[in-house]
Amino acid sequence: MSLWPLGLMLLFFILLFSRWRWPLGLALAAAALAGGLLQGVPFITTAQGGLPQPGSAIWRHLVEGAFVYIDPMLIMVAAFLFMQVIRENGLLSALTWWILRGLGKRPALLAMALGLFVAFPGMLTGLSTASVLTTGAIAAPPLRRMGLDARRTGAFIAVAAILGVVAPPVNLPAMIICAGVDMPYLGFVLPLLVLCLPLLAASSLWLAHGALKSGDAGAALDEVDKGPLQRHGLRLLLPLAVILVLMTGPRLLPAHWPSLGMPLVLVLGALTGLFTGDRVALRPAAEGALRQALPVMGILAGVGSFIQILTLTGQRGDLVLTVLQLPAWAAWLGIALSLPAFGAVSALGSASVLGVPFLLALLGKPEIWVCSGISLLAALGDLMPPASLACNFAAQVTGEKNYFAVARRTLGPALLAAVWALAVMAASPWLNRLAGGG
Amino acid sequence: MRFVKPISMKEHARALALLAAAALLTVLAGKDFLRQHLVEDLWPSPALSARQWLSHWHAPLKGGRGDSEVFVFRGQEEGGRVLVLGGTHPNEPAGYLAAVLLVENLRVEAGEIWVLPRANASAFTATDPQEGTPQVLALPDSLGQPRAFRVGGRATNPLDQWPDPEITVHRPSLQSLSGVEVRNLNRSYPGRPEGFFTEQVAWAIHRIIEQEGIDLLVDLHEAAIEYPVVNALVAHERAGDLAAAAVFGLSMNGVEIALEPSPANLHGLSHRELGDALPGLQATLLETANPGQGRLRGRTNAEQLLLGKDPCYDAAQLIPGMNKVKVGPEGLPLAMRVGRHLDAVRELCAALELTRPGKAVRYTGPPTLAELDARGMSPWLRPVSGLDQPRKAR
Ligand SMILES: [Zn+2]
Repeated sequence: MSLWPLGLMLLFFILLFSRWRWPLGLALAAAALAGGLLQGVPFITTAQGGLPQPGSAIWRHLVEGAFVYIDPMLIMVAAFLFMQVIRENGLLSALTWWILRGLGKRPALLAMALGLFVAFPGMLTGLSTASVLTTGAIAAPPLRRMGLDARRTGAFIAVAAILGVVAPPVNLPAMIICAGVDMPYLGFVLPLLVLCLPLLAASSLWLAHGALKSGDAGAALDEVDKGPLQRHGLRLLLPLAVILVLMTGPRLLPAHWPSLGMPLVLVLGALTGLFTGDRVALRPAAEGALRQALPVMGILAGVGSFIQILTLTGQRGDLVLTVLQLPAWAAWLGIALSLPAFGAVSALGSASVLGVPFLLALLGKPEIWVCSGISLLAALGDLMPPASLACNFAAQVTGEKNYFAVARRTLGPALLAAVWALAVMAASPWLNRLAGGG
Repeated sequence: MRFVKPISMKEHARALALLAAAALLTVLAGKDFLRQHLVEDLWPSPALSARQWLSHWHAPLKGGRGDSEVFVFRGQEEGGRVLVLGGTHPNEPAGYLAAVLLVENLRVEAGEIWVLPRANASAFTATDPQEGTPQVLALPDSLGQPRAFRVGGRATNPLDQWPDPEITVHRPSLQSLSGVEVRNLNRSYPGRPEGFFTEQVAWAIHRIIEQEGIDLLVDLHEAAIEYPVVNALVAHERAGDLAAAAVFGLSMNGVEIALEPSPANLHGLSHRELGDALPGLQATLLETANPGQGRLRGRTNAEQLLLGKDPCYDAAQLIPGMNKVKVGPEGLPLAMRVGRHLDAVRELCAALELTRPGKAVRYTGPPTLAELDARGMSPWLRPVSGLDQPRKAR
């Protein structure tokens, strides 16, 4: 067994994407198709002796893999709709005004408060999209007005959103790893706070403090359109209240308050926004949301097909095995690099495919701390190209055309996060004793 | 923002071509997806006493994809009652096929054996995305003709229960699990009569045990080779003595199996929740090691599931502590894994009589591990006349 087919598939994908300008999603799907056929996956399903062949043709695998991210896709469309509505109905400019008036003169506090604010929906849902397209969209205008450039603003939002995903109470990568090793998702609050809070403060200051300090809060405040605020007042806040309440309720009262699911929550928030501010034309807003979400939905579908073919042909197993076979000194490096790298195709996929065997390989260390560290490394995948999911959306939020430029600016904080995750994992026996764990 | 711009003929043509390609893909893939809905018939042994549908115990399941057949075998003598679950996770074929071999060969002398070979029938109609699971295994019957047995997914078909929440909140413990677990039958116990589809299936199984006075539950599973609980018997604390006796019995026959207590803080599992909810029940679960399920596995196909050979797991053998089960050159064939399950069921039944006098369950018919090792599964798969099995779609 070897990894050359995966190399060829990646090469073909890069050619299609960069040379022949195919959309990312289609290029991934085409690379999956070519790679599968090359490795002997049948072209058509035939029956033998009245029985279907056990392995069906490649088409089923392409479609099946593409459907794995259907729920995140729905969340994306709904989140874009919400963002479009609050942008047009005036909530966004009102919030910008409030934020700048309250904290414009305290740059360090402003940076850290906005970081926490952006992270919040991710903490409750475990999804970076939920952060970037809601509170991220709200944080962008004040940062921009204070003089932070679009790329750094995007990076700020993307990094905070990732840390929100990792922060408690809901960390989906960690929950997925727990499911893979049948470990209850319990006792994670402290390790995840230790991982996330210092990083959130550090990266928010790193990316934003310089610009915020030299920015002129008074001038920025004057530029904000105060019209919606004067026309509608506090009523403007209702859509935000609706989604925050609907997201928080099921976490606070799980026995009595069923989760409506993020797509519905965001759509309800958007619908509320139609009645609480300036007039919004629903149909163009919905069409715009779909248009913005479609390219990313395509990438996710392509990624799904690609991974399914990797699994089917044994490349996925080879990849996991290759990292596990590294000698001890290189294993930590392998873990720190492969989790975010695989996360570039899918952070949750990385948690499941690599995170679970890594945790099993590291058994003996306090597994809750190790699992927390692995979840952070996997979540960083959402920053990595080609998909750079968090950066892609953050670029749309800040109006930056080139999301790779946003991704490049997240590199420093991402590196810091990876080092911190490794440090926490390495120190986990000591940390665990310190925390009173057995 | 305005998005309307003139569209060229070339763009129209490209859009049409893409739509046509998508339609073709839908047809090609759809045919394969649909055939997974054809339910293969099982041919119960002539000693069968009754067959019943799961919906008998929870009417809302009637006629749907969650409904599934229960096969009942009653002995002449009074005794204990055992319920065997196969196909809780249809991606674990040894669990399903061990139940099939019971259904097709059982002759019960004392007590009763109830078998539900496709516990999550809906999960047999779909495979899990990104796993690349083969849809069927073709096994020759005792006359050498192939019979098809479906391999499904770990979770209920999304057509029956969708969308998943971001987080699954288990009832009644309120433990949080990742979203997809909401469709995992073995995280849905004790079940709720008005809960999600999968919880309703769990509820129906719960009701069988309660209403029919089942004494012993055996839930048949498989797990990845790198998973810590493989070749194991998991037992609720009330079934501890019984399980220990069974483990001893197995070791006397040369079958090594680990005894694992049911974790107290991991909710939704059959042994934990049904053991807690039903004071008359001793709840157990069996795991064998399946190379077709793990994250280290190589090429995923039916051969891998049947022969249990995988070069990646051979290589993993060199990583200390990675494989929890030794993988030799003979692999971990399906017949062997089914044999482990069948030997364990036999020892559990013997242990039931030992630990609870008057609850004897004795039977003949199904093969032993030694017999399966020597001859494979075919001699115990009843022949089906003609090539095309009668099949019905659900
Ligand atoms: Zn299982």
